[in-house]
Order: sequence, then structure tokens, then C-alpha cells
Amino acid sequence: MRRALGVVLAAALVAGVALFVQRPDPVDAQGGGTVEVTVTYNGAPVVEKLKVNKDTEKCGTEAVIEKIVVGGNKGLANAVVSVPTAKGAPKMAKATVDQHGCKFVPHVTAMTPGDLELKNSDDILHNIHTYSTANPSINKAQPKFKKVMMEKFEKPEIIKLTCDVHSWMLGWVAVLPTPFFAVSDASGAAKIENVPAGKQTVEVWHETLGKQTKEVDVKAGQVVKVGFEMKK
Amino acid sequence: MRAIVLVGALASAVFLFASASPAGAQAGDAQAGRAVYERKCALCHGEKGDGKGPGADLLDPRPRDFTTGIYKIRTTVNKTPTDRDLFDVITRGMPGTFMPAWDVLPEKDRWNLVAYLKAFAADKFKEAPKKQELPKEVASSPESIRRGKEMYEAIECNKCHGAEGRADGPSRPELKDEWGHPIRPANLTKRWTFRGGGGRAEIAMRLTTGVLGTPMPSFIDSVEKPDDIWHLANYLASLGPESPHYATLLTAEAVNGDIPADPVAEFWTRMAPQNIPLVGQVTIDPRNFNPSIDMVALRAAWNDKEVAFHVTWDDPTQSGADAAKKASPDVVSLQFPQKVAEGADRPYFLMGGDADAVYLLRWENGKGATEASANGPTRIVPLAGGEVTGQAAYANGQYRLVLKRPLVSKGPDRPTFQPAVFLPIAFQAWDGGAGETGAKMSLTSWYYLRLEEPQSSRRFVVPPVVAILTFAAMLLVVRVANRRA
Repeated sequence: MRRALGVVLAAALVAGVALFVQRPDPVDAQGGGTVEVTVTYNGAPVVEKLKVNKDTEKCGTEAVIEKIVVGGNKGLANAVVSVPTAKGAPKMAKATVDQHGCKFVPHVTAMTPGDLELKNSDDILHNIHTYSTANPSINKAQPKFKKVMMEKFEKPEIIKLTCDVHSWMLGWVAVLPTPFFAVSDASGAAKIENVPAGKQTVEVWHETLGKQTKEVDVKAGQVVKVGFEMKK
Repeated sequence: MRAIVLVGALASAVFLFASASPAGAQAGDAQAGRAVYERKCALCHGEKGDGKGPGADLLDPRPRDFTTGIYKIRTTVNKTPTDRDLFDVITRGMPGTFMPAWDVLPEKDRWNLVAYLKAFAADKFKEAPKKQELPKEVASSPESIRRGKEMYEAIECNKCHGAEGRADGPSRPELKDEWGHPIRPANLTKRWTFRGGGGRAEIAMRLTTGVLGTPMPSFIDSVEKPDDIWHLANYLASLGPESPHYATLLTAEAVNGDIPADPVAEFWTRMAPQNIPLVGQVTIDPRNFNPSIDMVALRAAWNDKEVAFHVTWDDPTQSGADAAKKASPDVVSLQFPQKVAEGADRPYFLMGGDADAVYLLRWENGKGATEASANGPTRIVPLAGGEVTGQAAYANGQYRLVLKRPLVSKGPDRPTFQPAVFLPIAFQAWDGGAGETGAKMSLTSWYYLRLEEPQSSRRFVVPPVVAILTFAAMLLVVRVANRRA
């Protein structure tokens, strides 16, 4: 009896250690490197404007569709930067997209497979209409009293978000196979920390300008800089 | 004797079994379905099922591309429709589109077609359909309808379908299907045009599942309580009849006294509408394959001086002529022969021919009522010095119009309206907001209009008098007979 208990305890201990070891911690003691990416675009911004005929108290009188947003030093905003070769546990914090001012905020959301929280802070009807192939596409109404909806996206792919009530609303959700990602800011900069050391591939995706990849050598505790110039 | 009873029992059992089977889906034979498909379906849907048959470009809405595996009408939680869903669409057609009802095909052929359609998107049908259950049914009642209206406003159905359901919501011009083609919201007051059927349960199912490939979302998670799906369905069903009950012979009521010129006057609402279907003009170029206006409702009245036509029709956009924007006005016209001929001869229905002109009573948004004579859609000549008057009202996607004219004409270009005569009449309508102008219109063929003769009060007097006299005569006969005896 005692022996059996001992065996069970030992097995539990081993299993626990195994689980602990197996789970790669991004803030590993061995340390990862930081990848600093600058995305640029040597062209004019593409911004479409549309006169709004309804819900103007929430949406404003002019809708702006930002297809290509270029900031200072030709920095390209809204580009998804990721290291698909670096594996790690999915991010625990859930991703959130808000429908605010008849826009998807943020315009581009990156996440690991799991739940996406969809908020409606506009107090008017929106409908979440997604275009996807790997995940089931959805078209669900989100009336003003439905402040939050949860949707599951379990497979990596890039999903387009639209709203048929407000045809100009456009958003993107990048479901990525890796927790090492960032979305470029207004200056085109994106920083990914704790990337496992070694040879890695950095990938950039932009809704209008497509995809590019580069190989980098990540060293523990160091910063590796890589630049992408996106082209039409 | 026994054998006969046995055979009879067997036969009735077989009969029962056979008649019970339509309720359940049957496994079809895709190869047999192919033969039917190529004869009946390929012209529009294409030999490869990609919706690109030779006739496809003429159709709007476009025929379904079966290779996508996306079907509008389904009763499932996921995207995969059940075999029965596909069978029902084939059987009933898609009302309001070019897809006819194929209930003329043997049932077996239709099940075989289902099997063949699925083969066009075999990978999409790998996922088994998951049946969508509806919340427990709520019977229609004034309270339920009131709650449904409340929900309709809370979830903003009006954004696409309009405040009163006539498909005139502000998002209408922006709507596109998943393939980028413009798509119109349903006119909720015309249930007979609902693609998946206009019954309450069918409406509840569409609200629950949404309509795949279109902007219509699923609402099951987006109402306050699951019951609201039924309240909404009950409200929508209250917006209009399930069938338009189209009129065949049109009548104008005789009235004593004045006929109101105001189209929203109560006088007109007391009269029953006579619904007349309109179809796109497809005889000459430019053809109109997806007309905006599919029906007008006529109410007509006449007195000793004039005749008045009250016309109601749905138009989601109120538009006037605007040369700068190249915009066309909304127009409706009533067509009559110039002279009412003896016999069945009538001018060519499409606004007359070379030798036989027609007389038009026209109303144009921004311009008002006019008279014209026409020898075809491109040869319209305004008539001067007429006495036609018109008054229109537009609200929530609907026009109401009164056109009035003296009974007696002022010359050879205009007919005189006489009571108790079958007068040919036809209708044309243009939705300027949908780009309809010139020959691009919707229209009817000839109908007959009859000005009903005044119902004299004699009918209330003569029959009772006759009855009393008869009774008196009988009494007399009886009395005389008794006396003789």
C-alpha cells in the first residue's frame, strides 16, 4: 500500500517536472534576444474617404479607410511582424477588437489561436462579418445592448473583418502560429522580445502590400535589427 | 377472400410507407442527378456548377456557384445545409429570383440532384450538418407583435430593411454579397418574395441562422431573450400578407360627391387595394432583368364628372431628375388605348406601335402629372391642354399617388371613360434611384378596368316588395281555396 502510494507520488512528481520543463517560458533563464523591426514603404499613403449617410453622431460625417498608412521616415503602420519559426506557448491574454466610432480598433490585431473578444462601444448596431477559410467564417449581429461577444479562432490564418451596416469598416485579425509577434506602430517600428536564440525567420504581412520574410540570427540578451521595405 | 384482404393490407402498408417517405431525406444518386442537371440546371448554373452558365450574365441575382458550397437557405448551425434544405430549395425555387420551383420533376430526380450538387463541393460537405433548433414557438398575439416591433427597433433591422420594412434602410446602397455583387435587402412587407419562404417558422429560422453569403447576419445570440426570435417573426409576419392575391379584373368604384385629391386621405384606405404584378421590360434594349418595382396597388373611383386613380408602390429611393448628377426621376404611368375600340383589338402593350398610339397618364417626381400619347417607349409626345391633376406622397419607401381626369375627353388623342365598359389599362414604373429610365422600366401587359355602375338603392326595395307580394298572393290563393271547400 505504502509502496503504491510512493509510486503514484513519484509519477506525479515526474509528470509535474516534465510538464514544467516542457513548457517553454518566454522569459527563460537562458534568455532570448530581441528583434527590432522597422517596416518602411517608399510610396504615397492610400486613404479612401467616404461620406457617411447614417449614424453620424457615432461615426462622424466622413469615414476614412486606411489602406496604407505611412508615418515619419516612411514608416509603415499596421504591419504584422512575427517569428513563425519560434515556437512557444500561446499568449494567455485574450485579444480584443473594439468597434468604436464605426471603426475596428485596432485596425490590425495579432493573436495566437484562441478567443477574440469583440466589443461594441458605439451603442448602435454593428455586424461582425468575417472572411476566412481555415476557421469558420461568421456573420453575427451585435446590437447596441450586446456590448461584448466572444469568438474562437483556432487555426492560424489572416481574417478580414467587415460590417455590412457600415460598409467602410475594415479590420484584420492575424491568428499566428507563434506567440512572438508585434504590430508596427505609426513610425513603422515593431519590437519582439524574448525570441529564442538561433536562426529564425521574421515575417511581415501588410493588408495591401503583402508578405515578406527575412532570416535573422537571434542571440541571447542582444538586440537584432532588421528592416523591411514593402513594395506594391 | 383472405388472400385479397392480405394483399390489400400489404398494399396499404406499402402506400403508407411510400407516402411517409417524403418527410425523410432520401439518398440520391449523383450520377443520375448529373443527367437531370445537364438538362435542367446547367444553362444558368454552368456545366461545372460554378454559376457561369450561358444564361448567367443576364440574371440578377446571379445563379449560385455550387463549387463554393455556400447556400443561403439552411436550417443548420454550421455552414453545411442538410439534404432536405437543398431538396426544398429545388422544390420551391427561390421566390423573387429567376430560380423556379422544380416540383414538376419527379421526387427521385430532385434527390439525385441534391447528391450531384453536393459533389461540386465535396470537401465542404465533409462536415456533417448540425441541426439548428429553434426556441420554443411563441404563438402570434398582439403582445408578441408589440414585443417584436420593440426588438426590430432595438436591433436596428431598419438599417437595411427600413423603418416600415420596405427595404429602404440607409445601408441599402452599400450592401454587397460575399462575392462583391450588390445585393438588395428583402422588402419585409412582401413575404411572398422571401427566398426561404414567408411562413413564421421559416422567418424565425432565417433570423436564427442568418442568410449565408449575404449581409444578413445570425441573430440568435443577438436578441435579448431567445423568445424574441419568435416575437420578431410574428411582427414581420404582421407587416404584410403571405400572398399578394393579384387582381385579374380592375374596378373603379362609383361615388356620390367629391373624390379626395389627397393620396393619404382616409377615403382611400377604406378601399381594398387591387394588386398588380409588374415585370422587367425585356423585349427591347436596354432590358431590365432585375426591376426595382415589382407591384403596384390600384384603387380607383369615379363620379359624374371625373375618374381618379390611386396608385401605391414601393420605391426604396425618392429621386428626382438631376441633369448634373445624371439622375433619373421616379415615374409611374397608366396606359390606355386612345380610342376604345369595339372588339378585342388593343394597341401593342409596350407603349403602343407605329399605327396604334396609346394614351398615357404619367406622374413624374418633381414634375407632377402630365398626359402624353406614345407610339413606343422612345416615341412619347406630351399632350397639351389637359386637365389631369396629380398629388403624391412619399414616406418610408412608399409612394402614394392620386391622378384625376375628367370623364369626357377633349379631343381625339384621349379616351373617354364610360361606365360598364371593359377598358384596357396597363402600367409602367421607373425607379430613378435604381437607374431606370427610358425603355429600362417595369411594366404590365394589358388589364381591363371597369367603372362599376352606381349601385341604385332599388336592390334594397324591389326584392322585399316582390317577397311581400308573393306572400300576399299565396295567402289569397289559400283563402280562396278554403272558401271553396
